[in-house]
Amino acid sequence: MKVIKEAIAGTLESSDVLVKVAPTEKGTREVVLRSEVIKQFGEQIKQVVTDALDKLSVSAGSIVIEDKGALDCVIRARVQAAVLRGCSSEELDWRRLS
Amino acid sequence: MNAIDEFSTISPNDSPNVMVVVRKLLGTNNLELDNQVEAFVVCRRDGRVVACAGLDHNTIKCVAVAEQFRGESLSLRLGSETVKLAAERSQFHLFLYSPPHNLPFFRGWSFYPLVEVPQLVVLMENSPIAIQAYCDGLREQRRQGSKIGGIVLNANPFTLGHQCLVEEAARACDWLHVFVVREDASLFSYADRLALVAAGVKHLDRVSLHPGSDYIISRATFPGYFLKDDALVDHSWAAIDLLLFREYIAPALGITHRYVGTEPFDPVTGNYNKDMEHWLQHAASAAPAITVIEVPRVSVRGIPVSASQVRRLLTRRDFDAIRDLVPASTLQFLEQKFSAAHNVTEEVGNQ
Repeated sequence: MKVIKEAIAGTLESSDVLVKVAPTEKGTREVVLRSEVIKQFGEQIKQVVTDALDKLSVSAGSIVIEDKGALDCVIRARVQAAVLRGCSSEELDWRRLS
Repeated sequence: MNAIDEFSTISPNDSPNVMVVVRKLLGTNNLELDNQVEAFVVCRRDGRVVACAGLDHNTIKCVAVAEQFRGESLSLRLGSETVKLAAERSQFHLFLYSPPHNLPFFRGWSFYPLVEVPQLVVLMENSPIAIQAYCDGLREQRRQGSKIGGIVLNANPFTLGHQCLVEEAARACDWLHVFVVREDASLFSYADRLALVAAGVKHLDRVSLHPGSDYIISRATFPGYFLKDDALVDHSWAAIDLLLFREYIAPALGITHRYVGTEPFDPVTGNYNKDMEHWLQHAASAAPAITVIEVPRVSVRGIPVSASQVRRLLTRRDFDAIRDLVPASTLQFLEQKFSAAHNVTEEVGNQ
């Protein structure tokens, strides 16, 4: 899947995360992470995001994560929602979202 | 503690009663209602309006939270709702102006500072990477040379005045970068203006034509430019636009000189030229100074050529008079576009 339009999911509130996706000019996949707990959990958050993107086979798109201390399950859900919106995905393989 | 906050979106024109309250809330926060705001997010607690934030295209304005409700999570919900409202209106790249002391507040909204007019205002955007990505793109178009020029044109439409300015700057520089204002707030569309500039400079070597961007004289970086009739054009807006040029665009392209035509008619552009010299050349900044060169505007029969004059002549279809003021490519375009059937009634924009 490729991100073909801009989309967001999530909020700026504490314990949540705002995920913004956009198409990239060069067709690459770029993840940018900003987190209030980046020192403690930066690596783990990045892993969760990468896993979520890989499971949905996202090959292209800019993915900006503005984390406010969200739990892994929240991060995963927000990334999935933003990507599915940004890819205008009509048909869903629900197994990929577990 | 268990107060219920209700968020809603209102359009200023449709909700005069709520706007009275919003105006009051803004007033107690030393803010004025900006009449460019198209929609407000309003937060009511127990029925009372306690916070608001306005949206003008891609710029967030008029943000206020009643004093006794600060320090809660209310502001973050307000921010989320505003970002959501913008997304529903297909605005994802957002800007806002903040007094420097409120910068931490908007950092909580995931906005990042771009430039600051000391002690006055900070321009922020809601992306940690957008300006860098933009500058990376510009850097790929860097050219060698010790004297690199830059010009920003609205070209509404492209006149002989613009052409002479570009030619003179190109002669004086090792390379010249020309930007065309992208905002579609002028009589001629961006696509048309860009095409006219391209046609009018294609005989010149050593000139790069760049598309405009949100960072160059846009509604977000220089709202006053597009609101000429409003006498309240604030100098600090010009400062923001010029500091963006000095601190991001010029270093990315290695621009050492900025060229601009003298402005005998339009007060906003006239002030802009004065501000330009101050903010690009003299003001303290981490970025190197840029030399501003004001080129006397070319005159035809003793009258300086201006795009606004061309637009006036266009309302009368006076193509004979226009012929003297524009390059052949622009004349051809105008004649095609404004056949007798159309009427030019609009008088928007400038240059």
